[in-house]
Amino acid sequence: MTGSGRRKSIVFFISLGAGLILVALLLYLGWVVLDWRDGIRLFFGILLLAVIIAGVTLNTIFLVREIRRNEQHDAFINAVTHELKTPIASIRLYTETLQTRAVDEAKRKEFYRIILQDSDRLLSTIEQILRTGRIGANSRPPNISPLNLPDLVSECVSRACVLHNIPNEAIRYQSRQPVRILGDLDEVRAAVSNLLDNAVKYSGSNVQVLVETAPVDDKYVSVRVTDNGPGIPETELKRIFKRFYRMSGPLATRVKGTGLGLFIVRSVARRHGGRAWAESAGPGKGSTFILQFPLEK
Amino acid sequence: MKRILVVEDEQHLAEGLRFNLEQEGYEVEVVDNGESALELLVGERRVPFDIVVLDVMLPGKNGFEVVAQMRLAGQYVPTLILTARGHSQDVLTGFESGADDYLTKPFELEILIARIRGILRRGEWLRRDVPKNEAPPELADSFTFGDKTVYFDLLELRVGEQIFPLTLMEMNVLRYLISRAGKPVSRGEMLEEVWGLREDTDTRALDNFIVRLRKYIEDDPGKPRHLLAVRGVGYRFIAFPQKQTE
Repeated sequence: MTGSGRRKSIVFFISLGAGLILVALLLYLGWVVLDWRDGIRLFFGILLLAVIIAGVTLNTIFLVREIRRNEQHDAFINAVTHELKTPIASIRLYTETLQTRAVDEAKRKEFYRIILQDSDRLLSTIEQILRTGRIGANSRPPNISPLNLPDLVSECVSRACVLHNIPNEAIRYQSRQPVRILGDLDEVRAAVSNLLDNAVKYSGSNVQVLVETAPVDDKYVSVRVTDNGPGIPETELKRIFKRFYRMSGPLATRVKGTGLGLFIVRSVARRHGGRAWAESAGPGKGSTFILQFPLEK
Repeated sequence: MKRILVVEDEQHLAEGLRFNLEQEGYEVEVVDNGESALELLVGERRVPFDIVVLDVMLPGKNGFEVVAQMRLAGQYVPTLILTARGHSQDVLTGFESGADDYLTKPFELEILIARIRGILRRGEWLRRDVPKNEAPPELADSFTFGDKTVYFDLLELRVGEQIFPLTLMEMNVLRYLISRAGKPVSRGEMLEEVWGLREDTDTRALDNFIVRLRKYIEDDPGKPRHLLAVRGVGYRFIAFPQKQTE
């Protein structure tokens, strides 16, 4: 409902812009017809017209962009509301259950486990949001120290297996030859974990994730995370790294999230002088996310 | 035993709800998406439930769409929306889509159970009330066009000797179209007037009603003469179509 309302307002502003340009052109043509003999006035006319058209075009572009941004912001607030309130609702429900009902020992242990999992989920959402603030514009530089990348990656892999309650074989990690980079431990760990979390979340019930770390050349090392998930259309490959951006469509809406994960991945890569991008053979064919860091020299 | 359908995709919440509602003595079924819920509620093999507890942010169809489609398909089981979305706009959307109650997450367990009890109790009271209100059968209210007569109160359509029983909603749609005979009626108008739903509800189910009605009242449903489509608007009922002169 509000979505279509916004689309209408975008259409309105675009047509307003186009209309104004048309009016300016008509006025200018009138000017030319009346003053075609006078060179200086013609020159100023052309100049003024160019300025007006550029102004109107810019104005329209900015308005439309602003409306789009608002829209994404709303979607983000909705997603975050959901991501924050759902675990709280669950923690509350189980606590109340334990408080008011007679629950046998086995169930009680299970409920405690669920409460712990939900508080972890809550914590990770909060950390994700705080991290976005920390790595954003005019923030502190990363806290650089030498890191052994394979160690860090395998630590993230086992953490992901525990967190998502999947067998260790579901995420395979190869090429453990030591590779050292200079980086902020917390940030690099967050970036790798985000890629793993995405790979698991989008895989659905059949999780088969392959993780590799390998030097690309004598300057860079890459972490590749490949999944058998729904894949990504080519037009979306870049956009998914934008802040708050979430793919639309039935496949993607099955997975919940805040739209911050990949933004953090890309920001961390850039802050370390590396880069991050995605590759996919298309929908249904899985995808690969690549994170590159400069090697320690 | 009262049967409850819980539509919730967050596994932890769903299992917690199941445990508690079962402890309260209800029979609970859990599904994790709107499509399966619709399958159970309005599908071919529909299963009776006494109340539905419905989440909004579901994968695929969201809760608002699910409840609106249930209502359109004539499924009036009491529905309580249980969601993290608590803006007044969301609450209004929920009720306008056809929900009976709305509770935001996080919720208090006792309040949720009290609301479920309240809704079920209302259903019981209504059922107990029915015999008292049963009026003596009156002469049926009817409308005749061509060789067809619609008996609104009996939910029957007679074509010559044949009798077609209609469902309540089919009859309500037909009654509304007849009351506006000759004038084009928009889909949104029908949704509002007949179902009491929001105008922008998905209208495909409505078109299915028209297809069914045409089977009853048209000699050739492929070439309707009474129930005409009006392009870009909706439908128009014509009681006495003029003979086509070709």
